[in-house]
Amino acid sequence: MDYRITVAKKMLLSKKGSLLGAVLAIGVGILVISIITVIFLGLQNAIIRDLKIYQFGDLMVTDETGLIDKSDQLIIGWFESNSRVIGATPRLTSSTDIEIRKDGELIELFGVPIIGVDPLRDPTVSELHKTVAEGEFVNSRNSIVVGSVVAEDLGGIQVGETLKLIITNRVDEEQTEFFVVNGISKTPGGTGLDSNLIMPIDTLRDLIDRPEETGNFIVKLTDPDYSQEIKELFLLSFSNDDFEVKTTQEAGRDIIRNFSSALGMFTLIGYVGLMSSAFAIITIQMMLISSKTRDIGILRSIGTRRKDVLIIFIIQGLIIGLIGASVGTAFGLAFTTYAKVTNMSFAGSLELEVEYDFASTFSTALTAFTLAVFASIYPAYKATKLQPLEAMRGV
Amino acid sequence: MSKVLEIKNLYKEFGEGDTKVEALKDVSIEIKKGEFILIVGSSGSGKSTLLNMIGLLDRPTRGQLVIDGIETSDLDDNQVSLFRNKKLGFIFQFSNLLSDLSILENTMLPRKIAKKTENLVSEAKELLKIMGLEEQLDKLPTKISGGQLQRAAIARGLINNPSIVLADEPTGNLDSETAKTIVQLMKTMAKKFDQTFIVVTHDRDQFGEVDRIITISDGRAFEADNTEMEVMVK
Repeated sequence: MDYRITVAKKMLLSKKGSLLGAVLAIGVGILVISIITVIFLGLQNAIIRDLKIYQFGDLMVTDETGLIDKSDQLIIGWFESNSRVIGATPRLTSSTDIEIRKDGELIELFGVPIIGVDPLRDPTVSELHKTVAEGEFVNSRNSIVVGSVVAEDLGGIQVGETLKLIITNRVDEEQTEFFVVNGISKTPGGTGLDSNLIMPIDTLRDLIDRPEETGNFIVKLTDPDYSQEIKELFLLSFSNDDFEVKTTQEAGRDIIRNFSSALGMFTLIGYVGLMSSAFAIITIQMMLISSKTRDIGILRSIGTRRKDVLIIFIIQGLIIGLIGASVGTAFGLAFTTYAKVTNMSFAGSLELEVEYDFASTFSTALTAFTLAVFASIYPAYKATKLQPLEAMRGV
Repeated sequence: MSKVLEIKNLYKEFGEGDTKVEALKDVSIEIKKGEFILIVGSSGSGKSTLLNMIGLLDRPTRGQLVIDGIETSDLDDNQVSLFRNKKLGFIFQFSNLLSDLSILENTMLPRKIAKKTENLVSEAKELLKIMGLEEQLDKLPTKISGGQLQRAAIARGLINNPSIVLADEPTGNLDSETAKTIVQLMKTMAKKFDQTFIVVTHDRDQFGEVDRIITISDGRAFEADNTEMEVMVK
């Protein structure tokens, strides 16, 4: 083995405290970045996951005009003739006013979004029905599921109670209808339709006087990887219409963009933290060089060149970087595994959708390693400036 | 015998102006291969300064220093390092072994620096065996005695077969019995390997008969035979 590696390694190992400090400085820096990445990407993926299973499906078909006037059978039939489609279901959205009265006197009036679903088809395509925490999903014309946020606004309305809704139809006529609360919908983190009312789509169509219209169709595929292919096929088949089809990723683009920017910002903070680790390495190596001044003098006196001294201390930076990056990556992967296995969530909010991001892990480790090596350059340069005689007398 | 060292009109000054001190004044010495030379003198006389000049650990203010026919004042820092490695062996008062390397690793170090590693381990072990350190090969310098440290330092000084071995007060930190052993070892090695030794000491008596003795006094070098020197020291 090259003597410079032997000397670098042995000098470093003789100062185990310094080595541990430097390794931890790098390792903890990587761990912090890993935690930030796991949490933000996990949150983003979890929100996309929930939006997909509750609202977007693998594909969501809308119309540029806002409403689709083709029959359900035509659209659903088209999709369900494809072997890669599990199912498709219509949805229609509107809004309603809810009055809160006490002794006949109006206390509060507020608007609530309302969504119409096909009680039979919807459970095959989405998991909205699974968000019903109390009671059951809509199953009859005048049954309604109340989102937990709305239920709270209504003073804690219970399953079985009656709810009076006032809905304005397309010709500005107010339609009043009584519904029995069939269930309360609640999702972790509120990613479902907790702020909505859910009722059968035919009931909603009647109330707003849009008997043949649909807001959107959501489609579930056997494999989301086919979403682009089926989207293109659909648009080709209905090329004379004004349909728009979005994949989950396209539908969640704004969310992804917002999370990406937040993730970028926090990762930057993590990297600044890693920079401070680099300063810690500089300090630790300067202390190491100070304590090894005599040894540097001895090495110089027996023929070690300045550039060899430089190399010895840069090798130490390489060793610190290698061990630090390995330890940090191991910590980071351990945390990622923990978060993945435990479906980590905070205070009962939505469970993170954690994926291993090996490219990001590798780039963080590489950055940390590079920083450690760069951090060792200045102390190494200072070590080369020591004159052998002065260095040997320095003790 | 060929000349290994030629010093011509060497001066070394420290400081400037009123604080200027002339540590060496017009020193001229010639040393032949295989000679065992003592440099003696009182404390502060300039003997260690002269040794540092010969070891290229310090630069003279003016004058010529030729080792193995090479004028050293023209060498740059890199060349000086290579020169020290190839041509010179060092034995310091406090042995100056690297504290994190074993005795064997310390001994092999000059050859590793020179990248001459063929048969290195066996040669280093053989040398350490001659020094009586065959049981201490894997020990760290902190785990052996002062006398053993100096023997290891001698082995390190010889491993690269240098033109000159420079020893600065090699017995200065040892008790008289151990010092005698070290002196005997150096003399044996000098004879065995036809090795030039230049030894700085304040205790000339420990070395008995040597080839030449150079006295440094007030920065000037004088040469006398052993008898004269003994008289002078007494």
